[in-house]
Amino acid sequence: MSQGFGPPPPGFGPPQYPPGAGGPVVHDAHTLPADDNVNPYTFSVHLDGQWFLQRGKMIAYYGQIDFHGLGHGPLDRLVASSFHSPLHAAQWVVAQGRGRMLLADRAFDINSYDLDQGNLTIRSGNLLAFSPGLALKQSIIPGFLTLIGTGKFVAASNGAVVFVEPPIRVDPQALVGWADCPSPCHHYDHSYLRGVLGGVRMLTGLGGLSGEEHQFEFAGAGQVLLQSSETLMDGIDTGSVPWEPGMPGGPEGMAGGGRGPGGRGPLPF
Amino acid sequence: MALFRLQGSRVLAVDLTDDAVKARNGSMVAYTGKMTFKRLTGGGEGLRGLVTRRVTGESMTVMEVKGFGTCFFAESAAEINLVRLDGEKLYVEASNLLCTEATLRTGTSFTGLRGASEGHGLFTTTVEGSGQAALTSAGPAVVLRVTPQTPLSVDPGAYVAHTGNLRQHFQSGVNWRTFAGEASGEAFQIRFEGDGLVYVQPSERVTVGGQI
Repeated sequence: MSQGFGPPPPGFGPPQYPPGAGGPVVHDAHTLPADDNVNPYTFSVHLDGQWFLQRGKMIAYYGQIDFHGLGHGPLDRLVASSFHSPLHAAQWVVAQGRGRMLLADRAFDINSYDLDQGNLTIRSGNLLAFSPGLALKQSIIPGFLTLIGTGKFVAASNGAVVFVEPPIRVDPQALVGWADCPSPCHHYDHSYLRGVLGGVRMLTGLGGLSGEEHQFEFAGAGQVLLQSSETLMDGIDTGSVPWEPGMPGGPEGMAGGGRGPGGRGPLPF
Repeated sequence: MALFRLQGSRVLAVDLTDDAVKARNGSMVAYTGKMTFKRLTGGGEGLRGLVTRRVTGESMTVMEVKGFGTCFFAESAAEINLVRLDGEKLYVEASNLLCTEATLRTGTSFTGLRGASEGHGLFTTTVEGSGQAALTSAGPAVVLRVTPQTPLSVDPGAYVAHTGNLRQHFQSGVNWRTFAGEASGEAFQIRFEGDGLVYVQPSERVTVGGQI
């Protein structure tokens, strides 16, 4: 046998199974973790009652579990207490019953988080599932959802999640969500684009931009969640908001960002 | 005897000493030593297998790798899972089968509605005998044991393979609400009953069920 390659360095790659060994870990209905990760990409829910899931994220389950779309029916009361924006309710599924349920999303990293009388705002595409102790609300920031209450939720991210504390400025694409601190504001770093030539450069991109001139700035006390990649996950529809004076953004499409950098809608008269 | 080991989680290394393995056509990424790569027609099952594959549409182009040295296989950076068979039968989608020892026999079997629900054909590939096989999956596969007391339901899009004495049937949660625009998105599941192991991947292919 020619052997030109040494073993990979320790800590690299998955566990190496010696030849002839039992192979990968086999899970059954009793050894699957309860409300914990099976591996970095799969989460096991110990279901006894109800959970809310994003559509199509359940990959397997043991036990007696039914999946209901949201709408009128026996789950009306639960939905009324956990959902406060009917327009995006169609994206969600209620899992009801007893058993172990595995969740995964396109082999992205998955983590669970506990909220204790807390609040957390998260990018809509990253939220996979949550327990009914939490209430889901549409954030005032387009494309984000807010969870309030006590319970557990499961979120996916492109690469592992990093927690940081404000004050901090973050790249818009790396932001997954934030907890307890005030919503962020925009920060523009255009100080090097000065004078007439700088203005031309900013408007046309001639001379090159670093691509990092725009950030989100967080202040106050709390936690900011970042993913270790700048590849966004597809968002789900967070629903639109009926336009009325005083709404941020414009009347046509909140997610569109209103009109111009100021995001001002038309005057109410 | 060919020795299968993982080099990282996405590259399969096979040590060969004048023996052979069957691997998916074009999946070799590197080798040391002296090897020959011979394309096998019809998945290496002879004339009958060739005809069966043509008829069933469970297509698989396979090459026979033979020689001395170490051969490395990979496929689109998919995670690789090693399965050791001791006489039992492994059912796997042709698209998830990367490499098998030459001593293992491959064939096709009818899956019925399950195959159709996965967006594949009505047929699946079987691997039988004693030896090792390597499967690919999108993300590391989770291996779940099924016992008579604990049947398992699997989303068709996440199913990769299974072994053992399992009965499978198709479970549908479609009702009038599905068509009233209140679909649960989990309308179709495969239910496994009996004794065996099921491999699921942490990712879902686009399936018929996933779109309803």
